Amino acid sequence: MDLVPHIVNGLSLGLLFALIALGFMLIVGVMEVINLAHGSLFALGAYVAMVIINPAFADFGGIYAAYVGLPLPMRYVLAIVVAPALVAVVGMGLEVCMRRTYGKDPLYGLLLTFGAALVLEETIRLIWGPTEQVLTVPQGISGAFLFGGLIYSKYRFFAAAFALLAILLVWLFLERTPYGAVIKAGAHDSEMVRALGINLTRLRLLVFALGTALAALAGIIMTPIWGLRPHVGVDAVVPAFLIIVLGGVGSFWGAVIAGVLVGLAVGLTGSFASQWSLLSMYLLLIAVVTFRARGLFGKKSVLEL
Amino acid sequence: MTPTTDGGRLITGPMLILFAALVTLPFWVQSVGLYQYLGVEVAIWMIYALGFNLLLGYGGLPSFGHGAFLGVGAYAFGLAQFHVLENLWVGLLAAILVGIVAGGIVGLFLAHRRGIYFALLTVAFGQVFWFVSLKWFSVTGGEDGLLGIPRPSADFGLVEFDLSSNLSLYYFTLAVLMIVVVALWRLVHSPFGKVVRAIKQNETRASFLGYNVRLYKWAVFTLSATTAALAGGLFAMAQQSAFPDVMNLVSSGTIVMMVLIGGGFVSFWGPVIGVTVFFVARDVIGSITETWLLWFGLMFMLSVLFKPEGVAGLWQDSSGESPA
Repeated sequence: MDLVPHIVNGLSLGLLFALIALGFMLIVGVMEVINLAHGSLFALGAYVAMVIINPAFADFGGIYAAYVGLPLPMRYVLAIVVAPALVAVVGMGLEVCMRRTYGKDPLYGLLLTFGAALVLEETIRLIWGPTEQVLTVPQGISGAFLFGGLIYSKYRFFAAAFALLAILLVWLFLERTPYGAVIKAGAHDSEMVRALGINLTRLRLLVFALGTALAALAGIIMTPIWGLRPHVGVDAVVPAFLIIVLGGVGSFWGAVIAGVLVGLAVGLTGSFASQWSLLSMYLLLIAVVTFRARGLFGKKSVLEL
Repeated sequence: MTPTTDGGRLITGPMLILFAALVTLPFWVQSVGLYQYLGVEVAIWMIYALGFNLLLGYGGLPSFGHGAFLGVGAYAFGLAQFHVLENLWVGLLAAILVGIVAGGIVGLFLAHRRGIYFALLTVAFGQVFWFVSLKWFSVTGGEDGLLGIPRPSADFGLVEFDLSSNLSLYYFTLAVLMIVVVALWRLVHSPFGKVVRAIKQNETRASFLGYNVRLYKWAVFTLSATTAALAGGLFAMAQQSAFPDVMNLVSSGTIVMMVLIGGGFVSFWGPVIGVTVFFVARDVIGSITETWLLWFGLMFMLSVLFKPEGVAGLWQDSSGESPA
């Protein structure tokens, strides 16, 4: 059996999984909050992007017609920028609610975001209905191409490249900017950061905004592959948390490597038993965590208490 | 969760009130606009929730994958009817045994975990069970589920009760619920229950006192899973089918929500209250709007933010005493 397409497939899936986990990692790393609403925000981002690309509003003085007349790539780029920003606002609202749970058992944060996930999913169902929706992508990145006698989907390559770019940008932001330094310091010792005169409340709000914007971005990129229905959030949040546990809470490269590992595991089992492919990621997690309690690169965290 | 003078008794006042309300339920349920089958569902879910609270409320161990054990119990009941013997006791015994085995094995992986890490691993295990039941078509029937599970009659040797009507099944389920309530009440007020509570408060201290913390956590997990599997067996009988749905993440989360809203953290009766609130909300809000889960979710968020002690906590505040 020729494994090359499965490895390529697994690698691209892995990068996408890492993208899904990125925002989740940021929030759990800095704030020690497991954001179970991550998947619902992921779905919300895709739905909002769908509306931005193909709005269905009444025509006000030809504005609508002019907007729809814009070329599709332009509207697509607009969606990629605006939808995450709008979802970030929702995320900031969630963070404001979360404030009551800080300093308590981390279980309360988990429960609150679980409730938020349910509320968001039901809201999506209320607005857009339970049926499958389609997010249109520009022609240039859809379709297929031939390479070495095998057919590959163009969109998958675009998505994987986009994920790689997003991962690198987030890494640069965390490692090479003063904001990133403050965020990392906040993850390490929030009391000390506050003592140094940095506004911790604003820092947390910023981290939540960034984390949820990344969730939305992942949703927009992932939707043409996974499809879009209200329930898609669960398909996203489970791999996200799984990758974080596998990579180790608070480790950036741990999450990326775990994402790629999970993608490869799913891709390769897909070549032997396609319908069991998703099971491999759960088994991978259980196997790793049984021997390395904190995941591959994890450090001790207050979440264990 | 403070120990009360009732702790040593076999049957307590609140138990009698609950039993009286449930025994008379078939006579008044229709006059308040609800229906007979709801009673069966509520009783089954009370068994499930009481067992779950052993883990969440008493052990402080949040499981987000408990639906797996309910589902496993349901499949075990159905498969035993089909492949072993069409008999009630065989079915329920199969559900319980499978619950012990599944809970025991998963418990081995979880017994040395705490807090959020415990919760995350339960999600993974819950998903494994859900996924297998969804894909193992030849055994579980995949997405369609196991259909046509019979409701064998309850044979007590001398007398035999036919359970084919919802009313008779309700009384049978209620009898099981009563046994579970009394057994769990005894358990949480036994020395075992006290150690479990001590572990919740401070695991390190409990282990320094010489208790085998892992063994206790494993035992609590297995017991809780077994109770869920028993409820699952009854559920298979009530629905006359078994589906993978009850095992997914949302269903597993729903039981956490029920127990928390009811006040599982502070009262033995929290799960009972929570199940009642949930089903009444489902049928009452659900008859007004299709998006009742949205409102229930909001209610849950408010409860987590402002009153994590739930309905039982409100009750304790207003009466100044513990209802347990």
